[in-house]
Order: sequence, then structure tokens, then C-alpha cells
Amino acid sequence: MSRRTVAFVAVLALAVLASVRLLAQTPSFSPPKLPWGHPDIQGVWTSDEESGVPFERPAQFANKPILEGKELEDYLKRRELERARTANFGGGITGAGPVHWYEWWGRKSARTSLIVDPPDGKIPPMTAEAKAREAQMEKEWAAKVGDRGPADSWEDRELWDRCIMRNLAGVMFPGGYGNNAQIVQTPTHVAILNEMIHEVRVIPLDGRPHLSPAVRQWYGDSRARWDGNTLVVETTNFKDTTDPRMDISVRNRGSWPESFRLIEKFTRVSPDTVRYEITRDDPKTWTRPWTAMLELKKSPAEYLFEYACHEGNIGMENILSGARVEEKENPALLTRKAVRKSPNDDSAENPDR
Amino acid sequence: MRGKPALLMIALAWLAAAPSMSAHHAFAAEFDANKPVNLRGTVTKMDWINPHAWIHIDVKNADGTVDKWMIEGGAPNALLRRGFTKESLVAGTEILVSGFQAKNGTKRANGYNITLPDGKVLFVGSSGTGAPYENAVPADKK
Repeated sequence: MSRRTVAFVAVLALAVLASVRLLAQTPSFSPPKLPWGHPDIQGVWTSDEESGVPFERPAQFANKPILEGKELEDYLKRRELERARTANFGGGITGAGPVHWYEWWGRKSARTSLIVDPPDGKIPPMTAEAKAREAQMEKEWAAKVGDRGPADSWEDRELWDRCIMRNLAGVMFPGGYGNNAQIVQTPTHVAILNEMIHEVRVIPLDGRPHLSPAVRQWYGDSRARWDGNTLVVETTNFKDTTDPRMDISVRNRGSWPESFRLIEKFTRVSPDTVRYEITRDDPKTWTRPWTAMLELKKSPAEYLFEYACHEGNIGMENILSGARVEEKENPALLTRKAVRKSPNDDSAENPDR
Repeated sequence: MRGKPALLMIALAWLAAAPSMSAHHAFAAEFDANKPVNLRGTVTKMDWINPHAWIHIDVKNADGTVDKWMIEGGAPNALLRRGFTKESLVAGTEILVSGFQAKNGTKRANGYNITLPDGKVLFVGSSGTGAPYENAVPADKK
């Protein structure tokens, strides 16, 4: 290695370290306290400000967790273009609704990935065991899907369509709209209500043990404790079909090991910011734990209108009855061998999706 | 020309890395891209329900009969945060809707353009995207 290369690598390493420190530095802000002494993180918080930031860091931004100058300008321009395109085409050419439904315009985050650890902003490699499990899951999925169409029953639709959940591992991450969470504290519990899709967790702070491993739930089983000014929430006991991999994951498939756990950290770092860090840890799946970070901002909303998703889920009725009409018009749909990657994969009908 | 594939690769890599930007429902599964509709109707009521609001309108036909249509709107929480209230669209208001009809053939549509007869765009005065794409017609529908 030439001296120049060594110097270049050294400078690069310093730049990476400096950026990582910037993201990880301990906040000096002292949050207001509740009468019983706990830091006050109550209120409605939104992840809108992080909209558009890729979950994993794209290759062209390697070693650049944060952009600046001309590079940042280009990055933001491209993001706006991409978002505009997605708003119209997110639902195929029928559109995903008018642009004004969305809440993420003009967000200026200069971050290049939501993942902050590993420092390269990438999900670490899967273990050999997990790769084998993936292959098996694919086989089982293909056998289960068989001849089914994408909307033979509500059970063929994803958890989001069915108003069940957005998956705890992804519920704080920004989607098109509705990216709010309300936190309410008492001396013994913390309640976290996610706007979409109405999930609420009432989390004990008293150190009680987790439920028996035999009990596995959509939203798992959460326990919390205060570590200085940081609320640490550990969740285990996820239902085995809860697919926790990505930012927003609404899949309902596979067989995830009970060793999977989520660790969330909430730290109020300024009057209007709660830093949210979420670590996915499962030695049976990844070669190391990995962490994404979101800066949640005080929402303009003081309260959340109840998101009673089931009560008005006219969309599900339209989807299922629409599929029946399509089958009448085109009986071949009834006999085709469906090849779908997930319950909501109707890409054969809508190549834009 | 040589630069183009490289640009395309970057664009593709970008798309692959972009976060999920899905709306709550699979609109393509619900509405039919082959059934575009342009409606002129009078609002009879607006349902502030989740996961999406629905605007009910009466559409008069040339023969004097009236069809009752339902137009899917945004999520009530999102509408509220954008300054839209239940007084914003009262019964009796005439609106124009461009959208796509439901696949099931019922008189339901999503509306990507909802305007008043004078051309004023509904939901304006929101946190304002300012984006030129607002209310844009998808390129393949022009």
C-alpha cells in the first residue's frame, strides 16, 4: 500500500469516526422531570422529519452518514423527485391518492441511512442457520400459496390491509402519513400509542419478568426501565410469523425464532426532540445486533384522533369484491398458478407496485 | 450515451434503497386503472372514518336521475393536521372529481384531483407541498 493510500484511508477512517460520534454523542440536555422523578417524554411525537432517508445506506454514500454542501443539495432534490413519483404511482397508475394526503413534503434530513450501527449503515450478514431457514420459509410459502390469488380471502392480504398492525419493529418508521406516536407516563407504566394502526402498548416499569416463552403475540411482550434519562424498552415473545426485518414490515409469514428481541431507547435530547434508537438482536439470525435511529419531533397534533381502522375498512371490501368481479370477467384468473412473493404481491396485475 | 446506463444503475440502486412509502391500502388492488372517472357532484356528507375518510356526492345524469358516489379521502388524522375540518366541505358544496372507479363496479372512486367548479383545489392551505406535482395527472394518463 502506498503512503498516499495509507494517508487516504486514515483520513477516511477519521471522517467516519467523527460522523459516528456526531450521531452517537451523549446529549447534554437535561429533560424536564415528572413529579415522581422520571424524565418527561410525554406527548405526541412524529418521525416525519426522517422521511426519505434510506433505511440502509446506498453504496454511493459509503462512509458519509451525513451529507453537506452541493452533495446535500443534490440529494434533497433527488429525494423530492422520488417522493413525487411515489405519491402518484405508489398504488400503480390508479395512484395512492392525491399528493395532499401525504405528510412528508420538504423534509431536509441530511442523513444517508437510518441504520447507525454497524457504522456502514447496512444490515449485517445473516447467519448460515438463518439463510437455511429463509430457504425453507420460501418453500413453505410457495406450498401454502399454491393456487391462491392475491385476494381470495382477507387472509391473503397483508397485516396493514387487514388493520392488524404495522409490526412493532417498523411502527415508528415514517410512511406516507400517520407517523405519530403518543407517549403517556405514570410512576409504574409507560403507554405508547402508535397512530397507525392504533397499536397501544402498556409497558410495566416494575421489573417483572417476561411472559412464558409459550405465549407469543403480534406485538410481543414489552418491559421497560429507566437508564438515566433514557427509557429502555425490551420486547420479546413475538409471534413466530412476525417478520421483523425492515423499516416497515407488514408481512405475516415464516417462522421466526423465539430468541428474537427488540431493544428500543427513548431519550429526550431537546424540548422538541426524542431520540429513538431501535436494536434488532437475534444471534440465530444475524451475525451481530444492529441499530436504527430516528429523531422524533414534537408533532403539530396535541392528540390523536382514534384510528379505528376496522370500523371503516371499506378498502378491504373493495379489494375482495373487486377481485371477484375480475375473476368473472377473466375466469383464467381462477386457475392460474399464482407466483407471489408475499400476500400483497399483486405485481402480475400491477407492474408498478 | 455511455453515461446513461451508469446513471440508470445509480437510479435503480437509489430506488432499491428508498424507504417504504406505501399508503395504508393497496390502491391498485382496490381501484381499476382502466376505469378513469370525471364526476361533477354535490356533497351530501363526509364520513370522518378510519383508515380513510369518504366524501359522498350526488351526481346528476343527463336524464335527470341521480347517482350516489363515494370518493375516498385521506386519513382523518392527516386531514386534521393539514387544517381540514368538518366545516371545510359542507353538504351542498359542488365539487369536481377526477379519479378511478373501484374494481367491483360500485360507484366508489379514489380521487386524485378534487376541485371546486371555479378551479380552486380542495385541501389547499395545507402545509403546502409547493411541489409542481401536486394534483399532477400521472404521465400515462395525459
